Parts: sequence; structure tokens; C-alpha cells
Amino acid sequence: MLLPKTGLLVLLFLCSTLALFAQQNISGKIKDAVSGKPIPGVTVRIQGTNRGTISDATGAYSLSVPSGNATLLVTFTGYKTQTIKVSPGTNVGDITMEEDFAKLDEIVVTGLATSVKRSNLANTVVTINANQLAGTAPAQTFDAALSGKVPGALITANSGAPGGGISVKMRGITSVFGNSQPLYVVDGIFFNNSSIPAGLNDVTGAATAGNPNNQDNPSSRIADLNPADIENIEILKGASAAALYGAKAAAGVVIVTTKKGRAGKTKVSVNQETGFAKVRHLMGVRTFDADKAADLAGAADNPDPVVQQRRQAYRDQFNAAASAGKIYDYEKEMYGETGLILNTGLSISGGNEKTTFYMSGNRRQEHGIVKNTGYFNNSARLNIDHKLSDRISLGVTMSYIHSDADRGLTNNDNNGVSFGVALSSTPTFVDLFPNALGEYPRNPFAASNPLETRDKMTNNEVTNRFVGGSNLEVRLQQSEHSSTKFIGRGGVDYFNYKTAALFPRDLQFEENALQGHSIQGNTNNTNTNLGGFLTNTFTPNENISLTSTLGATLETGYMDNIVTAATNLVSGQSNLDASANTTTRQFRQKYRDNGLFLQEDLSLLDAITLSGGVRFDRSTNNGDYKKYYVFPKGAVSWNIARMKFWDVKSIQSLKLRAAYGQSGNVPPYGSKFTAMLGSNIGGLPGVLVDNLLGNSDIKPERQSEFEAGLDLSVLDGRITLEATYYNKQIQDVLLRHALPGSSGYANEWKNSGDLRNKGIELGLTVIPINTKTVKWSSTINWWRNRSKVTKLLIPPYAIGAFGNSLGTFYLEEGEPATQIKGTVGSELKLIGNSEPKFQMSFFDELTILKNISIRFLIHWKKGGDNINLTQLLTDLGQTSFDYDDILHGQKAGVYRTGAGDASIYVQDASYVRIREIGVYYNVPLRNTNIIKGIRLGVSANNFFTWTSYVGYDPEVSNFGSNTITTSTSRGSNGLSTGVDVTPFPASKRGSFHIGVDF
Amino acid sequence: MKNYCSIITAAVVLFLMGACQKGPIDSLNTPVVGTISGNPTRSDLFNLVTGIESGMRINYAGYLDGVGVIGREIYRFSGSEPRYTTDLLGGGTRILDNNTFYLTNPWGSRYQVMRQCFILLDATRNARTEIASDVQKKAFSGFAKTVIGYQLLLNINMTDSSGARIPVPNGAAPGAVITDPAIVLDSVLKFLDEGQTDLTGSTVMFPLSDGFAGFKDAAGLLKFNRALAARVHIYRKEWAEALTALNGSFFDLNGALNTGVFHFFSTNGGDIANTMYLAPNTNGEVRVSHPSYAANIVPGDDRLAKTALRNSPISQNGLTGTRDVVIWSSLNAPISIIRNEELILIYAEAKIQSGALPDAIVALNRIRSLHNMTPYAGAITPAALITELLYQRRYSLFMEGHRWVDLRRYNLLGTLPKDRPDDDVWTRYPLPQNESNL
Repeated sequence: MLLPKTGLLVLLFLCSTLALFAQQNISGKIKDAVSGKPIPGVTVRIQGTNRGTISDATGAYSLSVPSGNATLLVTFTGYKTQTIKVSPGTNVGDITMEEDFAKLDEIVVTGLATSVKRSNLANTVVTINANQLAGTAPAQTFDAALSGKVPGALITANSGAPGGGISVKMRGITSVFGNSQPLYVVDGIFFNNSSIPAGLNDVTGAATAGNPNNQDNPSSRIADLNPADIENIEILKGASAAALYGAKAAAGVVIVTTKKGRAGKTKVSVNQETGFAKVRHLMGVRTFDADKAADLAGAADNPDPVVQQRRQAYRDQFNAAASAGKIYDYEKEMYGETGLILNTGLSISGGNEKTTFYMSGNRRQEHGIVKNTGYFNNSARLNIDHKLSDRISLGVTMSYIHSDADRGLTNNDNNGVSFGVALSSTPTFVDLFPNALGEYPRNPFAASNPLETRDKMTNNEVTNRFVGGSNLEVRLQQSEHSSTKFIGRGGVDYFNYKTAALFPRDLQFEENALQGHSIQGNTNNTNTNLGGFLTNTFTPNENISLTSTLGATLETGYMDNIVTAATNLVSGQSNLDASANTTTRQFRQKYRDNGLFLQEDLSLLDAITLSGGVRFDRSTNNGDYKKYYVFPKGAVSWNIARMKFWDVKSIQSLKLRAAYGQSGNVPPYGSKFTAMLGSNIGGLPGVLVDNLLGNSDIKPERQSEFEAGLDLSVLDGRITLEATYYNKQIQDVLLRHALPGSSGYANEWKNSGDLRNKGIELGLTVIPINTKTVKWSSTINWWRNRSKVTKLLIPPYAIGAFGNSLGTFYLEEGEPATQIKGTVGSELKLIGNSEPKFQMSFFDELTILKNISIRFLIHWKKGGDNINLTQLLTDLGQTSFDYDDILHGQKAGVYRTGAGDASIYVQDASYVRIREIGVYYNVPLRNTNIIKGIRLGVSANNFFTWTSYVGYDPEVSNFGSNTITTSTSRGSNGLSTGVDVTPFPASKRGSFHIGVDF
Repeated sequence: MKNYCSIITAAVVLFLMGACQKGPIDSLNTPVVGTISGNPTRSDLFNLVTGIESGMRINYAGYLDGVGVIGREIYRFSGSEPRYTTDLLGGGTRILDNNTFYLTNPWGSRYQVMRQCFILLDATRNARTEIASDVQKKAFSGFAKTVIGYQLLLNINMTDSSGARIPVPNGAAPGAVITDPAIVLDSVLKFLDEGQTDLTGSTVMFPLSDGFAGFKDAAGLLKFNRALAARVHIYRKEWAEALTALNGSFFDLNGALNTGVFHFFSTNGGDIANTMYLAPNTNGEVRVSHPSYAANIVPGDDRLAKTALRNSPISQNGLTGTRDVVIWSSLNAPISIIRNEELILIYAEAKIQSGALPDAIVALNRIRSLHNMTPYAGAITPAALITELLYQRRYSLFMEGHRWVDLRRYNLLGTLPKDRPDDDVWTRYPLPQNESNL
């Protein structure tokens, strides 16, 4: 093992004594070059050391510098970095700083241990700061707040249920059955984002007929993170940038840095958001009359007397309801609630030169748009950074999260019990409201009374989570031309996740069947990650700098999921033992991945960057757990504007860049085994061979990504352009490929083809106005991706949704990976593609008189089809709002269901949406010592959408994302977004904000 | 400084040591096929047998629903699944889909059980003699082969001349799709006959559920095997062989109609509930008899009680049903695999077809009298008796998966009613799309 040895080496260095130097003091004030305002919080550091200070609230700084020549680095986020030479015996005095519009000096994390200035970066790295993330119109969860902000990403909300559930795909399709979601790294800790089903399938039977994949609609665990704690987010989109994170990073990395304290006076900040959530859009219901009601029983010319009798009964029922005024819009009744949003945050930060801290507490509470649904999250965080000496610094981060979500019962089901499926066949003239005794009528049009289900059931998830980690940096040696650092990082992410799905025995669908369900799940999950890195920077002269990094990483994970389903419950009870029958299922998974890497970065003339690296990875999930797979990377960038010969003053940066990298995506746990699943009969224990054939030779998918681009910054950064082209190839794509049923297996794990994604990302930022009174900045992003199956070793096959007759994702060599095929007449035809033609976003920020700021984000998704089975179900239930429109000479609902044409329900899901709009006002304060600042604001999130799509929202996914594959349930795959089966409707949010700093 | 050092040293070293685990991570959740079939314990063998018996039930409801709907025995209404009333009845321009649940689920589950049978055969072969003696091993293999034959029969019943593949031992290359159902039935019979050979003189040591009550020993399993063989023989029009097989079975002309082998169901933990049971008078998920069931029944025939009049009729997609199917009384009720009532009717059919009409009438009258009908008084011709036989099979074996197959055997599918103008009566399911994935 490499690690213990390096560890000991480090300790030797740690314990060596430190030399002392003679000192001189310098001091002054730091101001903004345009406004002349003092800038607090600026870091002034002596180059090549850890010594430095931070300017106070009045912009003043003072620092003792060793006598002799020294160089000061003056840095502050959003400003250009200044380098100031200090001659012996002189003071530096006041410093003015210029705003860095093009963010050329922004430091970007590129590997696990090194960072690069944006102006020298060979990849596009998206950086989202706190203002962009949560400063406009806060989304419900952290991942939803990324929507529209990341060029190259397709971000889809799976459901509107409280607690979220988001699918993030960077640069197209990374994997079909392997991990397709990015790795989240929070302060160096790998943050688990799995979705764990609650076992609702026992009630809904969703995965029992058309599609075996789980459709429980669980939330994703990244939602636990409190957006208010985030300082900034960097997004590495593919292998060429993220290769050093290894196997977990194939689908990109989202690096989250939380807020840190600053030396100086302790700052206390309180923020309160009060708002409401309402459904974004309701589809509407069919308007019945007596004839239409009668038609529910059968056609008017049906000779069967039973049908005629029944027609009359429906007609009478309608007339009675109409004359009593009892015609109800159950869609509005179900989804029409207004939810209250309360979000309270408190943060305290401060510290001294040696130790800084950031503490925060946050309480988010919101009610859903369906009665008895809601989300509640309490979290606390403590970040401490401490300098043990000039050479050693240590950072510790800890957070505790408690979240609690009540998510209702939505999405697909085969038992007629979920809200949407029950509503889809319930006409307006039936009365479902409880009587004075609280008894709910039986719904003759569906298996359940959705109002009764809503009022009596529970689908609750509670998460208790602890995330903690530390970061140790040791400067091992320092000389004029070289310095060596050791960085050690470790983190633990533990959560307990408890689900409870309770269905009392007196529900319509329970009373004559299983007589109540109590399904309780308990999951314990522990992830750890550990890394050690040695970096050496060698600077023989000003023009050359060579950074070498050697590192080793280790990640482990263990999950234990136990779900017990009790049926035939004791009346009014939910405990598992208060039942006649119980079934328990357990699923565990465990992995250990480790990697070694070496990287060299060469910088010439501060204009040319060359880097190369190699990584060796292995994982216990691979067929051969001992084998190291090798993944190389290389990058080059040339900033022509920094060359000596460059004399176009107006162009400050003109950079050409190219990068190539490979990474692996490990197979899912268990894919190397053919399991024997428990299958009992009459009290005898049995095992039955799983229909998923394992593959003992399974190996990781290999992703090779090439990207090239041009970055341009002109007029002092007032106009910047970033243009990137990428070509991402995935070899040995892991497929759970369908076998002939006659083999006895339905599917087999196999590395069976190649995928390719090509795309373009363009970003243009303009600052048309920059005066003392008004500043306007505008960012326009445009991106597109095209995916293609370039090689398929197995015959083409349907991999998603509900069979050919309803439209299915279909993998076929030479065709887009996201194509949708379906039966039209008797032929299997191409009928759609879930990939958008392009996406575009506009982010504008207008600051007036320094204190008023207006921000908005518009997101346009053009193209990308959904499989709209919500419409199919309402058509079949004869309740679609447009059922009676005439289409091809028939009622629309009759035509659509009877046409034998799957393309009717595969529909364009384009939209233009104002994702976020916010207006904030900083109240100018005079003569107060206690209150330092007051902010007021109003915001609207996802308030306005323009789309021709018929469902609740064009953003939807019945199958969720990254759901774990247990031994009995199949997780979701990376393609099946955009399948719309009576989801929890999406909501829009409006909020009022107030923030006070002390 | 020194203090910090020691603390950090200790922490770093402990953390790194703890992290240095080695070795593979095995399957934590379930046994895996290789280990269980390589060197099985006695319990492993028992678990495999139980898995076979249990697995035979999986998606059997889907099979019964499918052939029941196509054979116009029932309507299957479902709030969320339209295809029972569209595809299966050929509504509008809809045809049977070769890649959806009503075909692929039962098809796959039957072959899954056959795969498990081959795993049991491997495990039995590899078992040490201290685990199971040769005569004991014979019982395992006889049971496995019998089940393979039965499961293959169910699949060829669905696809008929669309074809099926003969299952092969683990690791062997799959054979071609055989589109001549006669050849597939040859193979079914071959498995059953090999099962018979193995079971003869064997000793059963493994436990079976109470679905096999009365048939748990070698003699009982032999009778079960021969009963299935009799069914296959009449499908193959081998009347003499059918009668011979009946002699080895539990056929008893004067015995109880419900003697036989059943699938056991229960709502107990880890077990499977009988989803053919749906509470009467519910909405949403419904099985109602096809209107012709009550319309065509002879007045007084007590088999009308296999259905019960609903409080109110139920409609979906232009179809209306008034009578719930109530053959199964609860989620714990067993479903028959083969029972004496069918054997009596097999006897009658074989007798009619081999010209022994009086013998056939005796058997038919036995059925008639037990169902509150008067003795047979129709014409004593083979044709008239076959019509009578098919009536009896229709009502005696209602929703046990026979009517559609029977009418196909006698080329009478054209006599089935079409309820809506564009409906179709399918003669067979298509070959599943996944069979092209080789």
C-alpha cells in the first residue's frame, strides 16, 4: 500500500521545526477602481507562503512581511488578482482593485489537488456562485436550482413531489445502465445521491406488468444539501476535465464548496423566506352532459339490454348530480392546494488569523400542492479552518441534516390506486366527498377513491444524515524555485433513511383485498472517501512552472436496505407487528474502489499550459476486482493574447484550448453474479434463479472525451465568449441486454457496444452598461448534444417505457441513443427522440443605484419528445379535457386510443420558461452599529411557462433517476426520462425575502 | 506542536490501516448459481425444488387471463392497463404485441422455471452420494423433467405455430425456433417420458407444498406426470396413448372431480398470493365472465356458480360484464394444475375419437350428473359427442386455460363471438420479440 508510507513521510515533515524571519509591517486600504468603495474581505498573501491577512469592513489591511524582497498577491472573488512587489523598507499603501468581468483570474479546481486560473484552463468549467444559485428565486432543492444554468446539461425534474427528484445529464448519454448522474463532491466529501425506493410497488404494482423498472418515484439524496450554505459550485462536465476523480466521475463532477469564515469581526446573518407554491398547470377535465355520461356505459346503438340499462343509470346519475350542483373538478380538488413555504436561515462566521469558522442552521418547511404532502428540512453546518503553523493548515467540515418528506401516491400503477390513475377514470358527476360520519363513498369508476386515499394514506421519507470530512495541507518544503505540498483529504457520509408507506385497511382498494399495507423501509448507508496527494511546483524562472501531482484515492460504500411489508393490518394500526402477514426484503451492497494517479502540468509564459496525466483504477464491482484499468488524459491551451507579440489592446484574452481524457464507469453492484432469489411456497424456503444473468467478466465502461474550444475576452472583459465542441465516446457500454426469453433469462449484463455524444456549447456574456448608477450584465448560453449508438454487438432492442404499442426507447446501431420507436399500424417505426434539438438560457442581472438588483433566468428547451401516457390514461378513462374535440371525424379521445398509432402519444416537450425572476433591495443604513445590512426581495420560481405540451409539465420522468437496483427491483436506466404517467404535478413558487446582517 | 503531531499521526495511521481491506466482495444478498449447483448441500437441493414449485406460479395469472380473454371466457378490465380490452380482443386495428407483458411475462417465467430445473439437474448430478443416494437423485431429476415438460407445454399453447425453442442444459447453445407445434409437443412428451423413467423406482426426499397433497411421493409424482402426458397425447390426437397414460395417472371415473395437483398460494410472508382472486363487486381491477358464458349455459347447470351476479354491471371500452369470476374464494385459494375432472374429459374424448362411444357417454354423464344436468340425450355420433364434450370442457375447465386451446384443436375459433365490429379472435400469440436477440 502506497498510502501508509506517504503518510509516515508526511509526519516526518510535519514535525520538523520552522525557521523564523525578520519582519516589517505594511498597511493600507483596498478600494474598488470604479466606485471607490472600500472592499472588505480581500486576501493579501505573501506569494509562496501561507502568510497573509484579510481586509476588514472598512477595507483596511495590515500585514508583517519578512524583510527582503517579497511579492504580495491581492485576491478577491470577482476582482482581478494583483501582484505587488514589496521593496525592503517601503510600505505598499492603498490598493485599488478592478472588477474581473471575464473571470480570467478566477481559480478553478481541476484535479483533486491542483487548481488553475480560468485564463489558463483547457476545459470549460462552469462556475455558479451563490447569487446565481439561490440569489434570484430559490428552487425547492439544490439540484433544481441548477436548471438552465449549466450549458451542456439536460436537467429534468422527475416529479413535482415535495423533496424533489432530479435527473442531471451532462453532455448527453453517459451510460444506459451504469451511473449516468454526476458525482457530487461537497468540500472534498463524496456526497451520496442515490434514490432508494420506498416499496410502494407492493401497493401500486407499477413494475409488475409493462416495465419491471422501479417506479416508486423516490427523491434523490442530493436534495438534502442546504443551498444557503453554498459558496460556489464548479461543474466538470466530462472525462477530459474530471478524469482525476476516477471511476465515479464519468458522468461529470459537481464540486460544491460551502461557505467559510473570514478573519475579522464575527458576522451574523439571518434570512427569512416566506412564500407559496401552487400547481404550475392543470390539464383540465372533460365537461360531461347526460349523453356523454351515458356513453361511459357503452354505445347508444348497443343492442345489449344490460348496456342500455346501464346507460340510463349513468344518465340519471349525471342529471341528479347536475341538479344538485354536485359536479366536481377533482383535478383541482386534488392538485389545487396552495402550499406555504417558510425558510429560515441563520449563519455566524468569523475568526482570527489562525482560525476561522462558519456555522449555520437552516429550517425549510413547505406544504405541497396536494393535501397531506410537504417537505421539512432542518440542517446545521460547522466549517472550521485552522492554521497549525505557517506550513500546516487543517480544515474540518461537519453537517447534520434531517429531512422529512410526505410525497403522496403518484406515477404509474397497475392497481388503479395512485391519485392520477384513479382520477383518470373518474368523471365529474360522481360524489367522492366523505359524508357527515367521515365515510368516503366508493368510487364506481376506479379501484380507489382518490380523495380517501389522499386523506388516509402516508408516504413518508425521513432522512437523518451526517456528513463530515477534513482536509490537511502541509507545505513539505519551500525554496526559491520549488515547493512541495502534501494534501490529505477524507470524508464520511452516513445516512439513515426511513420510509413509511401506510395504507389503512378501510381504503376502497384495501378493504376487499389485502386489507391494509404498512410498508416500512430502513436504509443505512455509509460512504467514505480518502485521498492523499503530493504536489510539487517547480519554477526555474518566471516563464516556466511545472506542477507534478501524485495521488492515491480510496472510496468505499456500504448500504443496507431492509423493507418490511405488512398486510391485513389491525384496524387503525400501522406497526408492522399489528398485522396478519409480513414480508421482509433485505438488500445490501458494498463496494471498494481505489485509484492511483500522476499528473504533470506545465505552464509557459503564463500563456501556454500543457498537462498530461494517467490514472489507474480498480473496483470490486468489476469482474476482475484486482485489475487496474488505465485512463490517460492530456490538455493544452494557448492564450495568444498573453504572448509578447500581441498588441491588440482591446482583446485581453484569446485562448485556444483542447483537452482529451478517459475515465471509467464501474458496473453496478451485483452485475457479476447470477442470483438465486428467495421464492417460498407453503412455508418452505426456496430459491429461484433470477432472470437477470450475471457476467463474471464484466468490466467498466470506458469514456473518452475530446473537447476543443476558443475563449475570447474583449473590451476589458465587457464582452466574453466561450465556444466549445466536444466528442464524448463511451466504449464497452454496459447493457442489461434482453435475452431470448427461452434462455430462461430476461436480461444479461454485457459490455455490448459504443455510444457517441457530440455537442456544442456557446456562452456569451455582455456588460452593456457599467456606470456608477446602473450596471447590466447579460449571459446567453446555447447548447446542443447529439447522441448516437455507434456500435451494438447485440441485436437492436427496446429498453424503456411500456412496450412497442405505447412507444419505447430503442437501442439500434447507427441511430440516436435517445430515439423512440413504436408501433404504427403493424410496423415498428421511428416516432420520436427524447433529446432536445438545443437548449438556450438567458441570465440577466441589472443593478440600479448599487442597492436594487433585478435578476432573471429564461430557459428555452427546443425539441425533445415525451411519451405522454397521462393523456393515454385520461383518454381511456374518457376524462381528457379535449375528449370531445373532433379529430379525424371521431372524438379526439376515441381516435387517439383506437388509431393503433403509438406516435400519437409521443409528443414534443419543448418549452420556454422563466425559471427565476427576483428583485432585491439592499436597504441603505446609516448610523447603526448593530445592524450591518438589510436585504429585501421578492422572487418567482418557474412561474411562467410557454409550451404546447398537454401534460402537467414537459419536465417529467416516471422512472426517476439513478434508482438503486435491488435484487428484486430493477433500477431505472439512463434513457428513460420523459415518460409521463400521471406524475405529481410540478409547482411554481413565489416568495418574499428578508435578510439582516449583524 | 508535538501534541498535534501525535494526534494527527494516530488519526492518519488508523484511518489508513482501516481503509486497507483486501479481497473480493461476494454476493451479500443471495446465493449465486455457480456455488449452489457446484457442490450442493441437501438444503440447497430442497431449496431448488421449492423454487421450482414456487416459480411455476409466477405470471401464471397472466397466462390464464390472456388465454381466457382471447378464448372469450372472460373480460379483464383494468383501470390502468388498456391492453386487456384492446390488443387481446383485437379491438380497432390493434393486434397482439410481440413485446409486451401479456406475452413476455408468462413466456419468460415458464422458461425461467425450466432454467431452474436444469440447475437442479446439474446440482443433483454434482451432489455427493452422502447428500443424496442414486434413487433419491432419480426423484429430483424425475421431478425436474416433469416440470420442464409441463412448462414448455404452456408456452407452446400460447404461440402454437409462431414457434418456441426447446430448452437446453445450462451453458449449451440455444436451439432454433421450432415453428411446428407438433415437434415441440414431441419434446414436451420426451421430457415427461424421461421424467416418468426417472421417477419409477425413485425415493422422494424433498418436501413439496400442500398443492401436491396426496402426490408428494414418487408414486404420486408418477401419477401427476402421466396425467400431464395424457393431456399432451390428446393434443397430439394419440388416443390410445392418451388412454394408456390415463391408466398411470390418478384418473378415477368415479372419484372426486377436484382430486389433483394444485398451485398453492398464500398471503404469508415470502409466499405469493393468488391474484386470480379479485373481490366481487370491485371496480378498477375486474374479471367478469364473457356474456356468452351465462347466455350459453344449459339451465340448471351448477357451473354457473363459477360466476356471481354483480351488484351493478361494469363497462370498459364498450364492453360490459355482469358476472364476476368467483372460482377462487380468496388470495389463499389454490389454482389447479391438473385435476380428475379434466382426466375424465380426456378419457371421454379419447373414447369418442377411438369410436368407443358408449364408454364416452358414461364419462360425460358422470360429469353431467355431478353438475346437476340430466343424462346425455343427444345424437350418438362422434360429431355430436364432440360438441357435447367441448361444452363440458368449456364449463368444467372454465378459466383453467383450456377453451381457446380446445377450439383451436378443433378448428372452431371462428365460432367465438366478436363483441365489437373490429374485434379479432387470435389463433396464436406472436413469437416474443426477444427471441430474435441472439
